[in-house]
Amino acid sequence: MARLRPGREVVVVGVGLHPFGRFPGKDLSELALEAVVESLKDAGVRWRDIPIAYFGHVYYQGMSLGETTLSKLGLTGVPIVNVENACSSGSTAFWQAYWGITTGMYDMALAFGAEKVPRGPVTVTPDDAPERYIGGDHMMAGYALRARRYMEETGAPVTALAQISVKARQNAALNPYAHRKDTYSLEEVLQSRLVADPLTLYQCCPTSEGAAAAVLCARDALRGYGIDASRAVSVAAAVLTSGEYNGRGADHSAFSPYRTEPAALQAYEMSGLGPEDVDLCQVHDAATIGELQQIESLHLTPFGEAWQATVEGRTALTGDIPVNTDGGLLAMGHPFGASGIRMIHETVTQLRQEAGPRQVARARVGVAQCSGAGDVTTVHILKK
Amino acid sequence: MSVPESVDPRRLRITNEAGTEGTLIGFRCRECGVSVFGPATFCQACTSFELEAADLGRVGTLFSYTIVRIPPAGWPGAVPYVLGQVELPDGPQVLAEVIDCEHSALAIGMPVELAIEAVGAPAASGGGSGGADKLVYKWRPAGA
Ligand SMILES: [Zn+2]
Repeated sequence: MARLRPGREVVVVGVGLHPFGRFPGKDLSELALEAVVESLKDAGVRWRDIPIAYFGHVYYQGMSLGETTLSKLGLTGVPIVNVENACSSGSTAFWQAYWGITTGMYDMALAFGAEKVPRGPVTVTPDDAPERYIGGDHMMAGYALRARRYMEETGAPVTALAQISVKARQNAALNPYAHRKDTYSLEEVLQSRLVADPLTLYQCCPTSEGAAAAVLCARDALRGYGIDASRAVSVAAAVLTSGEYNGRGADHSAFSPYRTEPAALQAYEMSGLGPEDVDLCQVHDAATIGELQQIESLHLTPFGEAWQATVEGRTALTGDIPVNTDGGLLAMGHPFGASGIRMIHETVTQLRQEAGPRQVARARVGVAQCSGAGDVTTVHILKK
Repeated sequence: MSVPESVDPRRLRITNEAGTEGTLIGFRCRECGVSVFGPATFCQACTSFELEAADLGRVGTLFSYTIVRIPPAGWPGAVPYVLGQVELPDGPQVLAEVIDCEHSALAIGMPVELAIEAVGAPAASGGGSGGADKLVYKWRPAGA
């Protein structure tokens, strides 16, 4: 494992979000710009102050979309980097912004992400890949395989999985930015259409459109830009990993349910914090089973026990480890390029005590964990 | 009538002229002993390039399974279909369709064996594979 060498402290000074959902009248740049402008206003800086920008997105909608989008704010000549890292594209953009600042290259950076995901099951391989004949490339089928195995190994009932969807909708009902805001019962989750046993439609995140943005700054540069330090949230750890050999080999990313653990351990080491310090977390719940295995990978519960914590209400807003407080992927929806920064947005909002009706009681340390095909994982720890 | 080609000759070697028999193939690492299913240049575990071609056989055990009710776009087979995650004796896991098995008979840990079937080209949304049938590896209950 590489030894990480952060330099000066980096803080998040502004966040912005475009609501998640379906917006047929807007193109990707319009979604992205709304989030970017909101983040700049939140930080109290102007576009001309930003020395570098990173843009996370996945689906091809023309080249150099970051440049095209930001040109509408003014042509300032700064480097703009387009980032594709599957579902972790946004969080990878954030990770790059962090490391660009902490190592001293830049005093400030913009990380933003946006996506308009097509409807229907998500696949990751090219159209002519052997997987298209074999039937193995199906994101939710991959999660279903994990769910079946998890239930066999831990004795978790399918109702425990469904409870995660119920909780997600309860949290999203308190969030004006969510794609799905109506709540539903355990029975409704279990009786919704089967996608891939045991996962029903309401246990799978909707594909969505949306955008998110964050402005990061070196703490020692705040005064120079006239930024209000009282609302700054510190980035205590920023870790990005790819797949590690897990003893089984793989012809599909679905095979590594606990791939987050190495990234989590690095993040805890980098921050000097441990699982016991974490007050809330946002994790990659593209399907219900994902939330359980991410919580366990982060060592917030012992392995095989996150389903019990869920059933006991410990992961609800009022529990001792609130998870996916804004509704998560399950209720926010999942615009790939935006989701990772959406998690940062929610974490910052909670740590600033600005989450309104979904504010958790104790919010000093928050984790944002995002996964993607290729066994990509990001873990960020934020601290107020 | 000519026999279709293997869906991926780096994963499935056809061993008879009729195209009904074959074996899964990959590589074994001479340094650490780990086996890899399909193409490899370096060992996934230790990154050694001392790899030798390996026959990974035609049997395994069911590690997990799911019944896919909403298939990916262009799926050429029947719906629903059973997707099995199968562990080979040498360690690697292989995802493929499970056939000739009642849904109620599926069970984690059950022994399965290779089945080879010709599959029509997927209706790819763009690009595409040229439309040829391919011989695809699948799983069926052992001895079925
Ligand atoms: Zn090796």
